[in-house]
Amino acid sequence: MTTPAIDTAALTRRFGDFTAVQDVNLRVEAGQFFGFLGPNGAGKSTTIKMLTGLLAPTSGSIRILGEDLRANSAAVKRQIGVVPEGMALFGRLTAEEYLRFVGRMYGLDHATTMQRTQELLEFMQLADERKKLITDFSHGMQKKLAMAAAVIHGPRVLFLDEPFEGVDAVAAGTLKAMLQRMIARGATVFLTSHVLEIVERLCTHIAIIHRGQLVAQGSLEELRAGQANADGASPSPSGGKQRNLEEIFLEIVGTDREGNPAATAPEQELSWLS
Amino acid sequence: MAELEAGKLLPSSPRDIPVRVQLAAVAWLRWRIFINSTFRRRTTGTRQAVGLAFAILLRIIVWPFLALMVIGPIGGSGFFAWMAVADNHPQRLAPLLAAITLLWLFVSVNGQNVAAVVSNFDPSSLTRFPLRFGRYLVLRTLIGLLTPSTIVGCLALLAAAVGIGVAKPAMALPALVVLTVYALMNVFLMRMIGAWMERWLANRRFREIFSALMALSVVGFQFLNFQRAPARALGARSSWVLSLLHSSGVNLHWLPPGFAANAIVQPAHPFAAVANFAGLLASTALFAGVFAIRLHKQFLGEYLSEGVSRRDRKRSGQRDGWRSQLTLSVAKVAPPQAGRPAFPPIVTVCLHKEWLILRGNGVQLIGMLTPLVIVALMSRSAFGGHSTYFLPGAIAYVLFGVLAGLYNVFGADGLGVQVYLLAPIRLRDVIVAKNLMSLAVIIAEAGLAWVLVSVLARTPIPLATQVSTGLWTVFVIGVNLALGTVRSIQAPRRFVPGQVQRRRATPTNRTSGLLILLVLFGSMALQFPVTLLCSYFDNLWLGAWIFGPLAFAAVAAYALLLRNADQFILAHRDVFAEELCKA
Repeated sequence: MTTPAIDTAALTRRFGDFTAVQDVNLRVEAGQFFGFLGPNGAGKSTTIKMLTGLLAPTSGSIRILGEDLRANSAAVKRQIGVVPEGMALFGRLTAEEYLRFVGRMYGLDHATTMQRTQELLEFMQLADERKKLITDFSHGMQKKLAMAAAVIHGPRVLFLDEPFEGVDAVAAGTLKAMLQRMIARGATVFLTSHVLEIVERLCTHIAIIHRGQLVAQGSLEELRAGQANADGASPSPSGGKQRNLEEIFLEIVGTDREGNPAATAPEQELSWLS
Repeated sequence: MAELEAGKLLPSSPRDIPVRVQLAAVAWLRWRIFINSTFRRRTTGTRQAVGLAFAILLRIIVWPFLALMVIGPIGGSGFFAWMAVADNHPQRLAPLLAAITLLWLFVSVNGQNVAAVVSNFDPSSLTRFPLRFGRYLVLRTLIGLLTPSTIVGCLALLAAAVGIGVAKPAMALPALVVLTVYALMNVFLMRMIGAWMERWLANRRFREIFSALMALSVVGFQFLNFQRAPARALGARSSWVLSLLHSSGVNLHWLPPGFAANAIVQPAHPFAAVANFAGLLASTALFAGVFAIRLHKQFLGEYLSEGVSRRDRKRSGQRDGWRSQLTLSVAKVAPPQAGRPAFPPIVTVCLHKEWLILRGNGVQLIGMLTPLVIVALMSRSAFGGHSTYFLPGAIAYVLFGVLAGLYNVFGADGLGVQVYLLAPIRLRDVIVAKNLMSLAVIIAEAGLAWVLVSVLARTPIPLATQVSTGLWTVFVIGVNLALGTVRSIQAPRRFVPGQVQRRRATPTNRTSGLLILLVLFGSMALQFPVTLLCSYFDNLWLGAWIFGPLAFAAVAAYALLLRNADQFILAHRDVFAEELCKA
């Protein structure tokens, strides 16, 4: 049995007496393109912050590539790349300066850092903006730069929080191709996105978190077959027709606390809208 | 790219990143941020040239004052240390060292604006890189060593060591060694205070309590000052602050300044000197340890913001049932109005929103109360016996803080300002609402100060002084309202009410900041030559004749500005997008 890329046990995070993430048991095998889904406020970003060491769990354990994150955080951080929620860029640097800094912090030698910086700037189509400060970049450009910084050290596990948000279609296509090639060469990608079509097209495995708890986990096929439940909720296959991810997602999370459908018929509400 | 995608160049062991590489990377990062912040400007052409010219002018005016503010204490430290040792009063070294620590703390708190070029660097963001805790601790200790507080504090200690060495050359070496450790102790003490304050200030309730404590300390200091100062003659020797420092020498024995002073001045008793030096080392280790505990929490991943409050969770629970109530709520939004409203609907809505923000900002409310307490204390001083000066002086004092807010009325709205630009409303109504709320605060503040002065002044206030002060107040408010509105539109700056300002000022903001100070001070200070003129001609009504037309002109200018506010603000939409709407 191979060592999983990401393995959590009873991962829990509380803020005061509010539980944001509760008893999450995630298992992501090496080489998987893993989609992590959930409605707003479900606990996706909190989970990804814990998995990357930016937020301490209240309880539970995290192992990345077999290493305990808490005990060996420096070793783990060296193996992973992250595009965090706020991108965490230094606004008063240029893109080139930022990539040079990140490369050096990950221990790349000067020549490798410079070479990869140039390659990444070209690849992300940021090479023409060498003089511009990051603070003056558009949102999409900042996203591309954050992605470049996340991969400059050649990570084996890549965590991406909404990586395609604000990125134009051309750049998104390039990024997707790059991620697919990383997967083909053995890297693992852990991605959150609200765009279910992207997740469906890219990811081989998916987990869904709802109100802090993992409600489904498995391959896309298992989800479609209704066999990927994490806590007994029963997304049932609908008679022969292959359901898309959006339908599955809505079926799993589209209920309120009492189990009633959350999405109400349009005619019942907002009748004043023209 | 092929190599990158393969992850093939990943170093085999996480233990082989040399510490010097990461230290050099962070040092280089700080250097580039400094260079880019100092020499790169977003604007181009004439605007850049004008901005730079004003920035240079500002530095020429301000930096000498700042230099004097720090050169004085540094020179003073050397002189007092020399005097203490030469006069054979070495016990005075402890209060001197305590004063240097206070100076260090003062510059540390207030020097942030001077060193604003690096304020947009958050060192806690380094936790995402592969660092061990020990290395992170070293980095966090080194980052910020070249700040004004450390430079000023170290120079003051160096001056003290030189002073001691000049007075008694045999003490030069021990003084240098001990004061070097004392400097290190101060570094860790300041880091410790900063790190824990950052943790506590992340909590809104604590921020309010802290603001109240700060306000109380200011008021308390002024209370002592007004209590003690009139009874004594002026001069350094009679200053109660100095006498307090003098008498504190005994109490400082068991504190780091006492340890350091005794380690220097007791060479005849080697055991006592060594014991005191050990005490100083232990204090340094203690502060470093407490700082490290805080950093370790941060290193492990900590959420600094407030937890979800019970009230918010209650709201969140209620949200589940929103659908059933929505139709009802929509129907409730616009109840039929009975009678004529006091203001147009948009003004009323915006006023309500401004009131909600003001009501929720405890820090601001505390900040508004403090000047009134100071005015009450001022009445106990000699000032309280001269009502012709006391009334305008008190009004000027309380207005100074609240008028500054007129110059950035959109700053707290941040991204929300887009609502005003997108909604089918007249932007003039928004400005009117914001200014009405500001006016309500200003009038309340000035009114309360007026009542306080009337009650507490030891001589009656002549009617002419009251009329003159009233007209001057209208003039000051009118001028600052008009210019404040122009500046709020032309050079807004985003900020979070009640939180420490961390965003870097743009060249436009820095330039107009100087103009604001000139207008604020100028309009305030105008009162005093006029009052002197009244005294010279022995005609108190002269002030009313001068300020009457000025008040009328200021109000007319503001009214004229309001008439054209819509066009003016639309012409500056790009500034809004640049300064307020950028995520």
